Order: sequence, then structure tokens, then C-alpha cells
Amino acid sequence: MDTKEYIHSGVLEAYLSGELSEAEMKAVDRIVGLYPEIALHIDELRTSLNRYATATGKLPSEAILQAALNKIKEDEKGEFLKVIDESGPEVVIKRINVLPRWSIAATILLFVSFCFNAFFYGQMVDSRQELRAMVDSNNTLAQKIETVDQELTYAALRVAHFLDEDNVHIHLDGSEISPNSFANVFWNTKSNAVFISVDNLPEPPSGHQYQLWAIEEGKSPIDAGIFDHTLLVQELKVIKGAVVAFAVTLEKKGGTPIATVDQTFAKGFLKKS
Amino acid sequence: MINQHHHISSESTIEERIIYLLADKDKGALRLIYDNYSVILLNVIIRIVKHEDISKDVLQESLVKIWHKSTNFDRSKGSLFTWLVRICKNSAIDKTRSRDFADRQKSTEVLDVVFVSDSLGRKSNDDFDSLKELVSELPEIQRVLINMSFFEGFTHPEISEKLKMPLGTVKTKIRNALIHLRSII
Repeated sequence: MDTKEYIHSGVLEAYLSGELSEAEMKAVDRIVGLYPEIALHIDELRTSLNRYATATGKLPSEAILQAALNKIKEDEKGEFLKVIDESGPEVVIKRINVLPRWSIAATILLFVSFCFNAFFYGQMVDSRQELRAMVDSNNTLAQKIETVDQELTYAALRVAHFLDEDNVHIHLDGSEISPNSFANVFWNTKSNAVFISVDNLPEPPSGHQYQLWAIEEGKSPIDAGIFDHTLLVQELKVIKGAVVAFAVTLEKKGGTPIATVDQTFAKGFLKKS
Repeated sequence: MINQHHHISSESTIEERIIYLLADKDKGALRLIYDNYSVILLNVIIRIVKHEDISKDVLQESLVKIWHKSTNFDRSKGSLFTWLVRICKNSAIDKTRSRDFADRQKSTEVLDVVFVSDSLGRKSNDDFDSLKELVSELPEIQRVLINMSFFEGFTHPEISEKLKMPLGTVKTKIRNALIHLRSII
């Protein structure tokens, strides 16, 4: 390219005066990049214009640059404060968190309170259950004691009957229909009172009851009374006569005047003195 | 992008030194831009704004933008000067669209021929006096053309119309005026 011709074309003056569009300026820039003499020429033109401005008092005021520098300083200060502001979100969060922190504390306390309530309620339920169990076991114990007491009473009574010299003791063994059954009968020779100690008789069928009979030789059995098979020692009827044996039969509830001999559960003979 | 590793030396051009300082975030870059380009940039702004005081405001705003946008400068896409001109032109156009511009236009006459120097102190008086003397050697028409084209923001067609001179003649005479100027100062 003929650089002199390019320089003389006036395009560089237009370039410096702002006459050219951006695209045109960039086209000049490309050529300037290729030809240092053109770059030098532009620099000389620019310097001349600056000197002309100085000579004619057309230089822009220094105050414009200072104002720009001040504005930049302010902007930088703003940026700095912004950075500090942005870098301190924890502080902001902390501030916002004052209320939630109380809420959290309250929630924790409430939760702890719930836990205690649940715990104590559980304990209370447990205690109640324990108490109920204790009451139950107390009742059971009391019942047991009562039973034992009764048994003791019966045992004492039985022992008393055994020890009573006026008593005749008859042991009743189980018959063929109930070999395991047995009972003891005490017959007081002075009062003629008959006592039975029920030791082992099976549960009678519904509507039935055991009955004791006194047997005299050659006679029908004499009714000695119905008895409760669960009660250990019971006083029955007064029996007089030459009794040789006692027997227990199973009869209809309320008893019967005539013994059902084939339902004899236990039978014992008096020892001959 | 700005070449961070660009070597700077006394032989570097003004443009290279400015690019280096801008990349280094050295505000000395703005000083160099101002000393070397403010005259030309102000003219570019005046061409659009047509108002002296407002143009000075725009120049100030442009310098701030140049500083903040310095990392955007890409020398592979054009020269520093082209980039500076673009920022100034855009700032000027933005200003003409602003409410502030409309208000101030009402209150002030549009620029005719202005420039009362407020920067005489920058050169020594002797220097200034000798320069002034040299400039006075320029013919009146050349001074008018230089002023109109490089300081008062007139486009070549506008000068052609104002001076009743063909456009081609305007261009030739401006170029001759600059050649003359360069030869004397």
C-alpha cells in the first residue's frame, strides 16, 4: 500500500476528529498496525492538536480529571463497603436469629417438658399398675391366708378330733368306682356327734352331692347327713346304735333317705375294741 | 484482553504505556489519557452533545467509565483510541437522551464558538507564549477549520455548509491546516 497516499487522503484527520464510524476507525486501526509510519503520523497530528490547544487555551480543565478521579474514589469506597457488607452476612443472620433463638430455646424447653411429662406419666401408669398388682397380690395373699387359715382351723379341728379320746376314728378308703378317694370320720361316743373330714373326693357331677351313711349290721344304712365336699371338717348328724361302718355315696342334691349303694365312693369299718 | 506482561519502556508509545497502566489498575493511566486524548475526546463528545458544559460533564463521566471498564479493553479488536472514542460517544448519546440534558438545553444556548481557557497554568508562561506566537502564524481560515473540526465538534458536512465550501475542499483544507500546524509546533 502507498502509505503516503493513505496519509494524504485525509482519513487520519477524520479519524482524529471523530468523523469516522467505529467500523471505519477499526479499519484505520488495522492499517496503522501494519504500517508504523502511519501510526507515527497519527501521533504527530495528535501532539500538534494538543499543542495547539495549549497555545489557544483550549485544553479541557484539569478540574474535569480531578472530578473523575474523585468519583472513582467514591465508587471504590462504595465497592469496598459493599464487599464488607456482602462479606458479613453472618452478622445479619445472627441479628435476624435473635427471635428464632428464643423460639428454639422455648421449643427445646417445651420438648424437654413433654419428655418429662411423658416420663412421669409413664411412671405414674407404671405405679398404678404396680399398685393394682400389689392390691391384687394382696388380695390373693389375703385369700391364701384365709384359705390357709381355714385349712389351719380345719387341720387343728381334725387334730383335735384325732386327739379327742372320746372320738372313734374311722378311715374311709376309696371303693372300686373311685379307688383314690378317702375320708376320715370321727364319731364322738359321748355326744354321738359325727364329723367328717373330706380328704379326697372327686368333684361331684352337677346336681349331685355326697352323703354319709352309718351302717348297722343287718339294717339299711342310716342317713348321717349330706356334706359339702369342699369343706374339710364338718359336723354331721348325731348317730346312735351299733354302727359297724361308715360309707360315702353320691346322691342327688339335697340327699336321699335310701342310699344308692352302687354309688359308694368310700367306706370304712370301725375297729373292734 | 490487556496484555498483562506487556513490556513497558521509555520507547513505548503513549498508547502502550496507557494500556500497561490500565491493566495494572494504575490511575496514572487516566492522567496520561487526559493529557494526550482529552482534547480529541472532548471534541468527539461536543459533536454529539453540542453543548460545552454538558460535554465537559460527559468527558468526566467517560473517564470514570474508562476506568471501570478498563478490563473490557481488547487490543485485538482495535486501538485504545478507538475504544476511548466509543466510550465517549456512547456516554454522549446516553446524555442526549437523559432528562437532565433536555432541562439544560432549555436554559442554555447551544454552543457556538466557545472555550475560555481554564487551564493556562499547565504549561509555563514562556512555553505558552511561544506556542501562542507560533499558532498566530497560521492563516485565519486554517485556525477556523482546525477549531471547527477538532475543538467545536462540527462534522465535515456541517463545516461545508457553514463556510459555504465544497465538502472535498473542506477535507483538503483541514488536512493542509494540520500539516501546517505540525510544521510550526
